[in-house]
Amino acid sequence: MLLLNNVTKKYEDFTALEDINLEFSSGVYALLAPNGAGKTTLIRMLTTLIFPTKGEILWNGDEIVGLDASYRNIIGYLPQDFGYYRNHSPREFLLYMSALKCIDRGKAKRKTDELVDLVGLSDVRDKKMKKFSGGMIQRVGIAQAMLNDPKILILDEPTAGLDPKERVRFRNLISSLSKDRIIILSTHIVSDIETIASRVIMFKNHRLFTNDTPASLCRTLMGKVYETDDIAVINSPYLVLTEHQETGKLSRAS
Amino acid sequence: MDKKTKNASIDYILSQGLIKPQTARGRIAEMLRTIGFRFIFWDTGYSLFFATITLAGVLVLFSFSPDNYRYSAAIVVAPLVFLLINMFAETSERTCGLYELKQTCRYTIQQITALRVICYSVVGFVFTTVISTISTDNGYEFLSLFSLCLSALFLCAILSISFMRFLHGIWVNAVFIAVWVFVNIVIPISLEERWEAILREIPIAFSVLLAVLGAVVLVYQISKMLSEVKRYAVA
Repeated sequence: MLLLNNVTKKYEDFTALEDINLEFSSGVYALLAPNGAGKTTLIRMLTTLIFPTKGEILWNGDEIVGLDASYRNIIGYLPQDFGYYRNHSPREFLLYMSALKCIDRGKAKRKTDELVDLVGLSDVRDKKMKKFSGGMIQRVGIAQAMLNDPKILILDEPTAGLDPKERVRFRNLISSLSKDRIIILSTHIVSDIETIASRVIMFKNHRLFTNDTPASLCRTLMGKVYETDDIAVINSPYLVLTEHQETGKLSRAS
Repeated sequence: MDKKTKNASIDYILSQGLIKPQTARGRIAEMLRTIGFRFIFWDTGYSLFFATITLAGVLVLFSFSPDNYRYSAAIVVAPLVFLLINMFAETSERTCGLYELKQTCRYTIQQITALRVICYSVVGFVFTTVISTISTDNGYEFLSLFSLCLSALFLCAILSISFMRFLHGIWVNAVFIAVWVFVNIVIPISLEERWEAILREIPIAFSVLLAVLGAVVLVYQISKMLSEVKRYAVA
């Protein structure tokens, strides 16, 4: 079980997240909030990329900072801006990542082939990634995150840049991976998680706003959700839940 | 129960309850076994190419340096192979977009960099030997210049590692090279031939001691880099 106790992250005078208490066990957890609300900060703390200013993050009772490499052994991470080696094939890249994750070479080869098939890149496994579409690169990213069969899979804005068809494919993939592991996925697009998330976590003013099941949230919000093309009208006391770009205009639901 | 059995039982109980901290040497062996040489230097080809090109230019300039500035020039040039390879490789590592992701893997970039630094230091040592050999005429001069060049190499390596451990800027290594070259050009210009004379008059025993001390601190720094718990990942 992954536990956040009173976690606060500050950058000098700016508070990115304040007093966050969360508990994760198996299932898909969606971090849903507008850009700049603190989703990526939380994810960076969960992946040990940054450490909390206050509070603690515990994995099965032990602080993740102290667990060091043994904690990193059990996480899989897909960052928001997933860099890749353009002149290498997915297979080479996955073998390289397997080495960094300390996976035995024989197992790495088997796992690489298995994951390349799972993400639907079998036909291009030995092609250079420079010719890949955004969706294909994202699938390579998911495959690398799954290499060590992680107990905690953390995906930061995994659907960014994907077309609707690829988004559906991605949702199915996440559903198939969600057995017996914690999947934490951040997004600002409701449709990405409405059918697959077991819990939705929202932030408001850099604090935890709600942590509930999608069904329960829908009941709470029934009759209170609006959609607009006019961003200027969205202000307090309304909460911006999501936003998306459509034919050049930014729309928000609140 | 006899004493032997009793001790064996105590050892067994302790071995179950205590995890021996891994030594730097053990970690290096494990990393080489699991990652392999190929992946430690993966995608550093371009960096090595650019480092070689730059170094070739430096060597051409070095060959034109006047005889009465041999020591001063050799000391500037000796650590450059280390600094250039390290700068090109580490800067490209930090700018390639995978830095953050790699920091979440079992072995962090710092640990892999530490392994690379060992190899760069060996290459730097060989280069220092070559530079000292071509710059001197007899055994005494060689020993004097070689130990000074080694001291410079180890000082640069120690500072590079410290910058990598404590400063997280992308261009920190590039800035360090620029500062090193600048300082070592400004000093001979301002002191003229006195700087060369000072270097030549440093007792061999002192410069050898300095080199040995530098080597010890470098080994300590590398072992720290290999074993320390990650304190940060992204700048």
